[in-house]
Amino acid sequence: MHIDVKSMLLKDRLFLIGASLVSLLCLICLVGPHAVPFDPTDMSFQPFARPSWGHPLGVNDAGQDILSELVHAVRNSLAFGASVGLLGLILGVVLGLAAGWFGGITNRVIMSSADVFMATPAVMILILVAALFMPSPTVLALVLVGLSWPTTAKAVRAQSLALRGEQHVRASAHMGGSAFYVISRHLIPEMFPLYVVGFVAKARMAIFMEASLAFLGLFDPGRKSLGGMIYYALRYYYMDVWWNWLAPAVVCLCSAMMAAGFLAISLEKIMDPRLRSKWA
Amino acid sequence: MGKHSGLTRAKVGHLFTFGLAAWVLICLSYALPRLMPGDFVTAMFASSHVSLTQEQESQARDYFKREEGFATYLLRLLRLDWGRSYALSQPVSSLIFQALPWTMLLAGGAHLIASLLGFVIGVEAAWRRNSRTEKTLVGAMTFMEGVPEMALAVVILGLFAFQLHWFPTAGAQTPYAQLSLGGRLADMAHHLALPMTTLILSYFPGNFLLARNSMVMVLGEEFILTARAKGLPERRVRYHHAARNALLPVVTRFGLRLAFMVTGVVVVETIFSYPGLGTLLFNAIRSRDLPLIQGVVLFSSAAVLAVNLALELLYARIDPRAGHAY
Repeated sequence: MHIDVKSMLLKDRLFLIGASLVSLLCLICLVGPHAVPFDPTDMSFQPFARPSWGHPLGVNDAGQDILSELVHAVRNSLAFGASVGLLGLILGVVLGLAAGWFGGITNRVIMSSADVFMATPAVMILILVAALFMPSPTVLALVLVGLSWPTTAKAVRAQSLALRGEQHVRASAHMGGSAFYVISRHLIPEMFPLYVVGFVAKARMAIFMEASLAFLGLFDPGRKSLGGMIYYALRYYYMDVWWNWLAPAVVCLCSAMMAAGFLAISLEKIMDPRLRSKWA
Repeated sequence: MGKHSGLTRAKVGHLFTFGLAAWVLICLSYALPRLMPGDFVTAMFASSHVSLTQEQESQARDYFKREEGFATYLLRLLRLDWGRSYALSQPVSSLIFQALPWTMLLAGGAHLIASLLGFVIGVEAAWRRNSRTEKTLVGAMTFMEGVPEMALAVVILGLFAFQLHWFPTAGAQTPYAQLSLGGRLADMAHHLALPMTTLILSYFPGNFLLARNSMVMVLGEEFILTARAKGLPERRVRYHHAARNALLPVVTRFGLRLAFMVTGVVVVETIFSYPGLGTLLFNAIRSRDLPLIQGVVLFSSAAVLAVNLALELLYARIDPRAGHAY
């Protein structure tokens, strides 16, 4: 029941737009910090200087070059999103596999805690932790990872229960394959679509959360972020900085969210097992 | 088959899950501040420009800090005695209940409108699948779905309040205005228009796409064919047979999206300086007003839990199969 995912993806316009936006943003992250001439924390320029050749987007209220600020903010946002997405995915897959494969009490404990985590408003815990401890972005990312695994765990568990009953998996186990062998050789590769969709959805959520928390002032103010830039630019709106300070940050945030959203929608459409079974 | 009434196993399961979630939150809200290095008073004044004398510091500590056991803490929570705000020096609970109506008006109203519109338009779009209007609408909404509340709010505020001056830039009503009842309502609506539009525009695409996709799936089912073959009127097939079933995934996904929505409300209220819970939380964070932060966090978590629980129970009601699960 194999379908040619690659050719279907390349024909999907949404996927193409999303993928090119992601590539563009990745390019900014990789090349940008080396290409911009200034350190984003360098405060030695004239505050509120208008855009010029030296500072294509001008200078902010603290005397920092806005273009350098923007490039570093994009990089921080994407790095935050990608790492939360990846770690949350791994945690979800491991717990989902454990619940699906071992069943019994393991399953009960993991699935009940997934329910509890999904019912709890994650942002609120995040805000409380951030306000009390003022932790580093790494710690906040880890808290977000701890709150983002249940959706993947549930999907992986359901799929692995279905796969467990399939002939080839049973054959493999009956021929003496260990749990580790069967899981790594059969279950993990066959659930590939779930990982991609799960990763993109989590990364999108994390980028959104990072921007919001930074906007609310819960991150270290020295760390450059799109949410923080939007907050400060909005405060100096009356200085007529909307087009060189506010708009670039807003556009970058929207592109990141949109790119992830487009990819998620298009991948889900093409790889969702329910939809796929209808086509196969 | 008789109607199910009373407590089914599923309902008990849901109640247990939500009870546990609430318990976890209460324990966290008790434990986290106590795990903090130093205490509220040091945290508050260490990061401000104020330096206290020894005497002032111990006074502040006596005033704000109560060393108490978990049982006392629980009792205090139940009695709505949530401590005092540092920055505003008012009881936290009264600050929350002052802000609550505004948030309910703004976020609740936006949700109601966006959900109803999203569902009905989504259902109608799926019914006209592959028409030009439907394709344009799906494309536009997929695009809009990528715009976070923060960006939308900034654009709307900039355009309609700062540039065009059609709407006020901040607040929920004109302060000190002597207005008749009608005038006051109009003034409130005038202030509400921009933040509410922002929230509706950011909720609508998600609701629309979900409803449309789920309706498309349902329309492919065989019972729709049967209903049509029986010669039922179009409208009856569309709403009684199809849309009712399309509603289920929409309700389930709503709970998952709540976390996003809560964050969105906080940001939108802040950008429009709307005097709801979000702005209260924002100001508390900016002034490191820890008791107030804790109070708002705990209160809104409880509210979100309650909404989620209500949704679960509603789900069991609109989908008879869910009552038999387990």
